[in-house]
Amino acid sequence: MKREYSIIGKPTGNVDGAAKTTGEAKYCFDMSLPNQLYGKHLRSPYAHARILSIDTSEAEKLQGVKAIITGKDVPGGKWGLWRRFRELCDQIALADDKVRFIGEPVACVAATTKDIAEQAIELINVEYEPLPGVFDPLEAIKDDAPLVHDDFENNINATRHIEWGNVDEGFAQADYTREDKFTCFPQAVASMEVHNSLASYDKGSKRLTVWSSTQSPYYLQLGLADALKMREGDIRVIKPHVGGGFGGKNSTMPDSTSAALLSMKTGRPVKIVFNREEEFISTEHRTGMHVALKIGLKKDGKIVARECKVITDGGAYTGLGATALYLSGIFQTFPYKIPNYRYDAFRTYTNKVWATSVRGFGATPTVYCAESQLDRAAKDLGIDPLQIRKMNVMEPGYEAPGQYKVDSCGIMPCIEKMEKRIKEKWPKVEENEGIGFSAFAYMSGGIFNWIDTPYAYSGARVQVNIDGTVDLFTQASDIGQGHNTVSVMICAEELGIGMEDIRLHPADTATTPVDLGAWGSRETLMNGNAIKMAAGQIKQKLVDLARAKLGENIAYDLVAKDKRIYLELRPERGFSYYDIVRDAIKLNDGEPLIGTGHYTPHNKGMISPAYGMGIMAIKAKVDKEIGHIEPQGVLIVHDCGQEINPLGARGQVEGSVHMGLGYCLCEDMPNDNGMLLNPSMNDYKIVRQRDMPQIELMDVPTYEAEGPFGAKEAAEATIAPTAPALANAVFAATGAEFDSNVLKPEKVLKAIRAAEAKKAQKK
Amino acid sequence: MKTIVNGFEYFSPKTLEEALKMLSQYDSEEKEFKVIAGGQSLNLMMKQGILMPECLVSIKGLSELDYLNYDAKEGLKIGALTTHRAIETSDEIQKNFKVLVEMEHNVSSTETRNYGTLAGNFCHGDPGGDPAPVLVALNAIIKMASVKGERTVPAEEFTLDYYETVLGHDELLTEIQIPVIPPNTGVYYTKYSQILGDFALASAAVSITLDDKKEKCTDVRIVLGSVGSTAMRAKKAEEILKGKKITDELLVQAGQAASEESDPTDSVEASEEYKRELVGVLVKRVGKEALERAKKA
Ligand SMILES: Cc1cc2nc3c(=O)[nH]c(=O)nc-3n(C[C@H](O)[C@H](O)[C@H](O)COP(=O)(O)OP(=O)(O)OC[C@H]3O[C@@H](n4cnc5c(N)ncnc54)[C@H](O)[C@@H]3O)c2cc1C
Repeated sequence: MKREYSIIGKPTGNVDGAAKTTGEAKYCFDMSLPNQLYGKHLRSPYAHARILSIDTSEAEKLQGVKAIITGKDVPGGKWGLWRRFRELCDQIALADDKVRFIGEPVACVAATTKDIAEQAIELINVEYEPLPGVFDPLEAIKDDAPLVHDDFENNINATRHIEWGNVDEGFAQADYTREDKFTCFPQAVASMEVHNSLASYDKGSKRLTVWSSTQSPYYLQLGLADALKMREGDIRVIKPHVGGGFGGKNSTMPDSTSAALLSMKTGRPVKIVFNREEEFISTEHRTGMHVALKIGLKKDGKIVARECKVITDGGAYTGLGATALYLSGIFQTFPYKIPNYRYDAFRTYTNKVWATSVRGFGATPTVYCAESQLDRAAKDLGIDPLQIRKMNVMEPGYEAPGQYKVDSCGIMPCIEKMEKRIKEKWPKVEENEGIGFSAFAYMSGGIFNWIDTPYAYSGARVQVNIDGTVDLFTQASDIGQGHNTVSVMICAEELGIGMEDIRLHPADTATTPVDLGAWGSRETLMNGNAIKMAAGQIKQKLVDLARAKLGENIAYDLVAKDKRIYLELRPERGFSYYDIVRDAIKLNDGEPLIGTGHYTPHNKGMISPAYGMGIMAIKAKVDKEIGHIEPQGVLIVHDCGQEINPLGARGQVEGSVHMGLGYCLCEDMPNDNGMLLNPSMNDYKIVRQRDMPQIELMDVPTYEAEGPFGAKEAAEATIAPTAPALANAVFAATGAEFDSNVLKPEKVLKAIRAAEAKKAQKK
Repeated sequence: MKTIVNGFEYFSPKTLEEALKMLSQYDSEEKEFKVIAGGQSLNLMMKQGILMPECLVSIKGLSELDYLNYDAKEGLKIGALTTHRAIETSDEIQKNFKVLVEMEHNVSSTETRNYGTLAGNFCHGDPGGDPAPVLVALNAIIKMASVKGERTVPAEEFTLDYYETVLGHDELLTEIQIPVIPPNTGVYYTKYSQILGDFALASAAVSITLDDKKEKCTDVRIVLGSVGSTAMRAKKAEEILKGKKITDELLVQAGQAASEESDPTDSVEASEEYKRELVGVLVKRVGKEALERAKKA
């Protein structure tokens, strides 16, 4: 039957939009508690050094200083997100025997004012013995390279092998093969809200409460438990509004561990806020990597084999970088059928701040390489870029042996729609203009359980009160992507009531059922399912009661819609939702109606229960004298299943394109022996609103059976294709080939000249 | 890594006279003070700990310095408190000094232009500033005042080195004067930055005056920004154009000469060589537009 929704699929303003716009919404950054102290870290000026001694005596004498902690004061062991593999839990609250990157915290002061805390860290005397450092992964793996962690030979932190089909046979069948090498540079997260936490320890109950700007209250609770050697249940994490995470706020960071330790020491609340420079030099960023790609095709454009080798620049610790390593091997194959595939990769430790999962993680770098290579191959074979993609895309039900299965899959209709629209939209290109394409697909939440949770991946609890109002409890995290709105929409649709009937209680570990947090575009599908299940339990009770009261044929269907519960085929036969609720609670011996829901993916392979996908085109103009690339317009045809909130989905797509343009054009983290050269918003270049091209977004809706109301991911997929679509546009316009991202004008100019020289040589 | 904004005293005099007295007094007491207008540059310097004044003298309250006066004979007078935004949105300036509006349009963001003043930008002495090349190309005169009296210097002589100007410690810039653009003259300015409104990798302002027949160039000023310790005249490039009928070829030559005269340095954004090349392209393009404007003037 045709699905008609009252709320789902309608463009809806964010439930917290007004509060955010007027400044009423409280972020951790805005919070303070009576009697609060301010914490400040002393950070290492060395990329690699042994700590010989730390003298805090002068700093302790400064009036207003209440406590100082160093590595010696940390009670716990190491922690990390890869809790299933304890050897990969390599993070420490404060450096103990040695420092591994410039900016690593070695001590933290709590004082009555920020200024005093800042003055106090200047008075701490640390004696270091500098050690040789290693800054490039290719250097790190050499036998004589200094070791970042003593137990990891050749600085190899993690390795990954993926293989299916028979790659050698595949290449033997190919009419055409080519190899390309790329370097993908890292990208800063640069959230508007910096990392910050407020910790309050109650010495009487021995319990800790932490408010933090985090993507996952649960991960933070676990990280703190490991770091502080406390029980999870004695730690309460509350996530207020969060001003962006993008992958950089999954790890437990020193803002929270140090604030907690200092609060435990002083018995007073402690707040730690990183400044922008600390944010750049000491928090996680997108993984940089060297990529070698080989592709084999038949003359007609059919891909027969691909091989990929990757070495990633992991930095000093693991973070989620080991997952990025795996996904870099997976997402570059999407959305194509590659019959024979082999991937070998390792992640190296280097003396830099560590790399992790950042928006589109796994996909963004290697998709850039793979989609750039595909266009070069298409050009050599004389095949149109859209045609070569049509030749190779997946269809519904496609399985990569032992890895993933794709159920709903609208990629072919997306490309067909693109073919049609592009002819109308950009019938011709002028000189120095070009149109580039990239296909894409991304996960709707990850199946992997490196965190080792025994809980369901997502949970929700719904309580319906006597007046019909609803309290919805879930730990799912809105970090600016709009999940609070999606939660309420799903709950309201399922119960057939209004969004205004629902009060959301999000992201507090003491009161809400566990959810793994906002990463990997997981909340809509995974948490949406949990909420739908919880609300569905109550709906069932209401429907059953209504059916009994109506005394109708058992085969008749009832629906809950528009605040009524009624016979689907005879809408006049039914009851007000509010009346039924009142009766149901009376029948329930006066207890409010409670529904609980949870979701964990099963039988869906190793990656994700579902994939958002589509195709992107970018038109760009190139200034051949200066090397400037001007993106002139973006056209996206998108299959994200049933859109829950089209307005929110569009916002996510635009944000992804924005971040993807920065990745392609200007966001760069150059370092000199481990020292970041541009740690400020002045020097780190981010695309601004004025630089944004028009984005046209078209939909090819599919129905994803695994998703709530047929929904799947919309938050990250469109970042990965942005850089290759733009680079391919430049390739189409000028023939310039790039072996890295960050297409600053000087690099573009050189590539254009190289292409012209190559052309002249051929003639 | 320091964000210390150490405590400082803050004064906000209400009249120019009061302000100048204050500056003179602090100067004689050898107090470490700084004048603050819109704070768009100074705040950054203080936040980064590059400057840590004991005392700030805010001139924001000197409403007598917030004006824009245009006279067809005398030209334009811009009071020291006039913001970038006021210049950008003035109809009179759009009509008579379009190049100023064009320049302002790419100075950072609207927010910065709402607070920042043209005078403050010039006093800051950042070689990457956009106003300086345009003011030099337009032959602007800078008026300064202290308790000892007033004086003026040509804009070209105002900036001495990176972040260094002729301003005395007890002196205020009070007014920027821009003479009427001579007949048969076209002026244009462009900067290049990868991100719109960002600081320039290089910039060029060109003013070209033609003879009455609009054939030969009688006067030309080519000023480069971001490629030296101050905005700089490219005098050899000017010589190539002066007295000649300007052709595309001559503009290319002038560009090359300017490229050689420029003195850029390597940065995270681009190498010295690239910036030199950029100067050549900008001078050629800006010269061409200035020439077109001169022909239409
Ligand atoms: C994010 C950002 C981006 C920017 N981008 C650009 C850009 O692209 N191009 C560009 O040109 N500029 C740019 N700027 C700089 C900005 O335009 C100017 O520096 C700013 O307008 C200075 O004006 P102000 O009134 O804020 O000066 P302030 O910051 O208050 O003062 C600057 C300096 O001038 C002195 N001073 C100010 N007024 C006087 C006076 N009347 N007499 C004597 N001394 C005085 C102060 O003591 C101080 O040393 C940017 C600034 C920011 C914050």
